[in-house]
Amino acid sequence: MRPAPSPGAAFEAGRQSLAAGELPAALEHMEAALAADPDSLRYASEYRHAVIRAGAYDRALDFFAKLVADHPGAAFAWLNYGYVYVDKMPSAGAITQVILANDALQQFTRSIELKASWIALYTRGNSYLYWPKIFGRGPLAVADLERAVAISKSEPQRAYQAHAYAALGEAYWRTDQPERARATWEEGARLFPHDAVLEALLSRQGDDLEAYVADQVDRTKRVDTDLRELWEDR
Amino acid sequence: MIALRMGAGWLAAWMVAAPAATVSSGRAAIRFEEIGARASARMIHHTRRFHGPKADILEMFTSGGAAVAVGDYDNDGYDDLFVTDSDAGRTCHLLHNNGDLTFTDVTAEAGVGKGNDEHSIVSDALWFDYDNDGRLDLLVARFGTPILYHNEGNGKFRDVTAQSGLNKFGNTIAVIAFDYDNDGYLDLLFGNYFKPVDLFALKDPHVLPNNLDQATNGGGVTLWHNQGNGTFVDVTEKAGLGKHTGWTLDVGHADFDNDGWQDIYLADDYGTDRLFLNNRDGTFRDVTEEAIGIDTKKGMNVDVADYDRDGWLDIYVTNITDEYMQECNMLWHNNGVDAAGKLTFTDLSRETGTCSTLWGWGAKFGDFDNDGWVDLFAANGLRSAGDKNYIPVLLEMIITPNVDFTDVNSWPAIGDMSWSGHERKKLFRNLGGSAFKEIAHEAGVDNDLDGRGVAVADFDNDGLLDLYETNANQPSLLYHNVTAEHGHWLELKLVGTRSNRDAIGARVTVKAGGALLIREVNGGNGYASQSSTRVHVGLGAATHVDELEVRWPSGRREKVPPGSLPVDHIYYLKEGAGVVTAAAAGFGRGMALRHGGAP
Repeated sequence: MRPAPSPGAAFEAGRQSLAAGELPAALEHMEAALAADPDSLRYASEYRHAVIRAGAYDRALDFFAKLVADHPGAAFAWLNYGYVYVDKMPSAGAITQVILANDALQQFTRSIELKASWIALYTRGNSYLYWPKIFGRGPLAVADLERAVAISKSEPQRAYQAHAYAALGEAYWRTDQPERARATWEEGARLFPHDAVLEALLSRQGDDLEAYVADQVDRTKRVDTDLRELWEDR
Repeated sequence: MIALRMGAGWLAAWMVAAPAATVSSGRAAIRFEEIGARASARMIHHTRRFHGPKADILEMFTSGGAAVAVGDYDNDGYDDLFVTDSDAGRTCHLLHNNGDLTFTDVTAEAGVGKGNDEHSIVSDALWFDYDNDGRLDLLVARFGTPILYHNEGNGKFRDVTAQSGLNKFGNTIAVIAFDYDNDGYLDLLFGNYFKPVDLFALKDPHVLPNNLDQATNGGGVTLWHNQGNGTFVDVTEKAGLGKHTGWTLDVGHADFDNDGWQDIYLADDYGTDRLFLNNRDGTFRDVTEEAIGIDTKKGMNVDVADYDRDGWLDIYVTNITDEYMQECNMLWHNNGVDAAGKLTFTDLSRETGTCSTLWGWGAKFGDFDNDGWVDLFAANGLRSAGDKNYIPVLLEMIITPNVDFTDVNSWPAIGDMSWSGHERKKLFRNLGGSAFKEIAHEAGVDNDLDGRGVAVADFDNDGLLDLYETNANQPSLLYHNVTAEHGHWLELKLVGTRSNRDAIGARVTVKAGGALLIREVNGGNGYASQSSTRVHVGLGAATHVDELEVRWPSGRREKVPPGSLPVDHIYYLKEGAGVVTAAAAGFGRGMALRHGGAP
């Protein structure tokens, strides 16, 4: 019997297939890599990239459902399971998008229950920001994003951590706390002086700022769930 | 960019919107005055009350029946009104136009008030001359079977439903009349919302949409062919429309591919709108995918006009664009037929500024300042009640795992809650064919009632288009157009001879002041409303018409000699006879008295 390829080899084979435009093969290889290393954020992120290109959302949902069933303690598998729902949203109608968004939140929550990581808290907190104000998710966003910012302060500084400052400020803004919003963005800008979003937020006032904040969570656009900053930003 | 952040699309949006302000500068104001009460035309609509534990859900799903139909039933040269009501025992209203911006309720004498019985809800109405006898007959559409009234010519109507063959039960919400086979008789297309079940005696509670974005368990449409002998026959399957099972909310017709035959657009709630092209042999083909693509929106309205004056008819569809749902309306720009014979449309609602009318309902094109560019008025608002909002309550149902949307019992009670209520109406002024500016407040039409139907007509024959708006469970409104500075105009009442007498489907092409203007007579386009069949053409600064051609549904083309139509008048054009007097066209007083009629 031939030994199964290592997760790294399967992943690399998947990347090569993806580069060659061989989507079914890419998905197959990457699923093999993830099955062997279910908590890999990188494998999952690249896999979802291939899924988006193939439009194979239902396949990916089935795959992650089995993956988390086989590995219920894999926090990042749950996280990426949630991302697939987010990735699928542009292909759905407005009401189905609500259902998908809620399904995503459930997987993000399971991930946080297993491991309260910066990325999971930031993801769920930011997801709450996409919900219209009428649904009252703003305070939940604030809570998650405050935790994400607190975690980032206890970890080595990385450029991507600036996103949580931007999002937390937006959460304050959307919950009618403009002073805290600006203070958070200013704190973020001191730590990450070259972050373009923080700079843009701080350079705006009034309606201009309101429009910019709203545009950050425009539900008519595909949400960027690419995680590569996590390993490329060193 | 890491997880869940967006790009800078706002910049592109701003750049598209920016030119509008520049184009709009220097134009005179469009103004309306609401005169419904003074004109005795303000009718209060009542939605149907249901009984039982889920009564308010069924009431909500059937709350669309506030409709208006405009037509000159007594041929006196002034457009009259038929306004529906929907609650049990309530009567609809026939309002005779007295010619002085007042109306008289003649329902009782005419005998057309009925329709709301214990198993039926009046939902729409339509004037059309089904027997070509020169008098407009009246069709009342219902959640139930329709009622067809024959106009007896003495101010009275006779119920001829039984002998007409229009006996099929359906939960109809929209109806239009057009001659799909160009045989000279007007056919009927019904848009049905629910599948054909008696909502007052539900044996099975699974009657609501099976998917809130792509439902397939609605009532579809029914096409009735007019046999020319006072009877109609159901040709839905034969015509190729039987496979459509959407939740049809509105139906519209026009010659979209300029081949002389009427095509169909279906606006569907909870899913995909459909475009059918006429095969010229009594059948239609579904070209949705190649022409407009598959949408998942909540289509509410179909109105048609050539808003950019390129010679192809465009379509405006309203959807839901609110805080909790960002669908955007669709302004389908007709790209025309390409070299391969393919007709396509492009949605330019965002680019033109007509994307959002909140919870949309009826919307109508009309050149309200006679500047030569058709503007657009849109009604909106679902349910204005108490302070509490139904949306968060509804959300809990929507996100409940494995919930069965079709089951009436799954839906939470609405009680006194509001749902997309108190919404301000929108009036979009056409700024030259590429952008519109929203001016409802300045124009005096930004009421916040729960709008449904919008009819456009020149009720006082002054050359300015007025508006009649129906509102669910609320009073209707009559907006008299009092725009002080406006362009020249022309109005044409077409009378078919070989074609159907109402000339529905006739196309008028006007060349004036260097502009090419096309109009088509339609038989009830637009949600819950029928506008005047009199063709109105705003001419801007042009003081004469260079060319006017009518293409009749029969295929006959007639040109009116240059110089024979001084502007700012109303004319009668009879197929085969050209410009005729009102009397020769079969009409009485009215237009000729005020504007001189035909020269």
